[in-house]
Amino acid sequence: MAAGNPEKTKWMRGPSTPLRGALLGLLLERPGHGGDLANRLAARLGETWRVDTNDVYRLLEQLEKTGLAVSRDEPKRSNHRRTHLVYHPTRAASGALSLWMETLLPREPVRLGLQAKLSVARPQDAQRLLVALRAYERECLVLAHLVHPADGEARSWPALCMECTRDAVYAQLQTEVDWAARTRRRINEYLQDSH
Amino acid sequence: MTPLLSLRNVSKSYPDGGREIPVLDSVWLEIEARASVGVYGTRRSGKSTLLRIAAGIELPDAGSVRFDGRELAAISAGERSRLLRGAIAFVCTEDWHAAPGERVVDHVAVPLGGAGLTMRVARRRALAVLEEVGVGVGASQELTAALSLAERMRVMLARALVREPRLLVLDEPALMPGIGERDRFYALLRAVACERRIALLVASEEIAALQGVGMLVSIADGELCSSARAATVVHLPRRPPAGAQRTRR
Repeated sequence: MAAGNPEKTKWMRGPSTPLRGALLGLLLERPGHGGDLANRLAARLGETWRVDTNDVYRLLEQLEKTGLAVSRDEPKRSNHRRTHLVYHPTRAASGALSLWMETLLPREPVRLGLQAKLSVARPQDAQRLLVALRAYERECLVLAHLVHPADGEARSWPALCMECTRDAVYAQLQTEVDWAARTRRRINEYLQDSH
Repeated sequence: MTPLLSLRNVSKSYPDGGREIPVLDSVWLEIEARASVGVYGTRRSGKSTLLRIAAGIELPDAGSVRFDGRELAAISAGERSRLLRGAIAFVCTEDWHAAPGERVVDHVAVPLGGAGLTMRVARRRALAVLEEVGVGVGASQELTAALSLAERMRVMLARALVREPRLLVLDEPALMPGIGERDRFYALLRAVACERRIALLVASEEIAALQGVGMLVSIADGELCSSARAATVVHLPRRPPAGAQRTRR
């Protein structure tokens, strides 16, 4: 599932990878300037992501440095005498996005990475998403399995707090497993209907 | 090693109006002797169907279910029923049936009557198992109608254990009002399974209720997802977890 050539996956390094991947997906849909892409990114990912326009410019520069985007000065629609920097995907961008869809996610924040992929996925990415969701579900089960079980004898305050912490972990993982299963179901239903 | 229970390529559908809804779709699951597997799934995810098929109560539409090397579809209904009264014990919270005026000890001893034991011997064994699951001598003489849900679960567990099964299948035993009660019951369950060296297949709507199992499996849309790479088993620890045993009434 994971990509092999380190050069091809270089752009996926670092904690901003989900946002970079989502930006790449948006560029493939339609070129745009930094402000436009920041607005589209915020609309696509939702308020919980707190997309910062300055971060978007920085990420676009990174995509350009890694050869996945190219920027050109183009006249503004509102004022043709003035220009702004419009980013376009390069020929390598589509393959890079497919590779990202296939790449295993880091443990944290896994859900955000998957959500970023979902936000810009193309129909041809459906199978990759199903594999990624299945891997995520399994990862959540593994994490739940690693939690040390309660001995059922908690009576002290520290033991109670420990149990509550444990419960928070289980609750979060259960939500994630349910979400992954529900998302797979949606994609599968779409695939069935479209055939 | 031959697994104690194996489900291979098992499929099951139920009719819904004019169409068939797949509940299990080419499911694979293996459980070795003394292993424990927890099945997590939301309501109507298919976990109860999986458990009933694993216990031989239902047969799949397709695929193979083998218990101790025997293909369950190839044996008669009578033999399957004998398996369910012996080597396989199935416990479902919703299946609580107690005769009016029945005492707890008798409720647990009754299944042994079919095994040819006198009621006196059966009661003695029932008392020992009730003690093992935390129901003391005094409580064992009470009427079953007086039991709380948590006590009822322990009595149901005792009734399953008294037949000395090799595989214990429990469907949704976590439906208890108190979280502490639930945790204590599960700790007891793990300890008893470990001490008695029996395999455990337990399903719940709460992942937290399945803590401590050797392998965690989720079920959705007829498919299983496992915490293990292959759908087989991690053995229970040789010793029960510290403090896991019995509470006394």
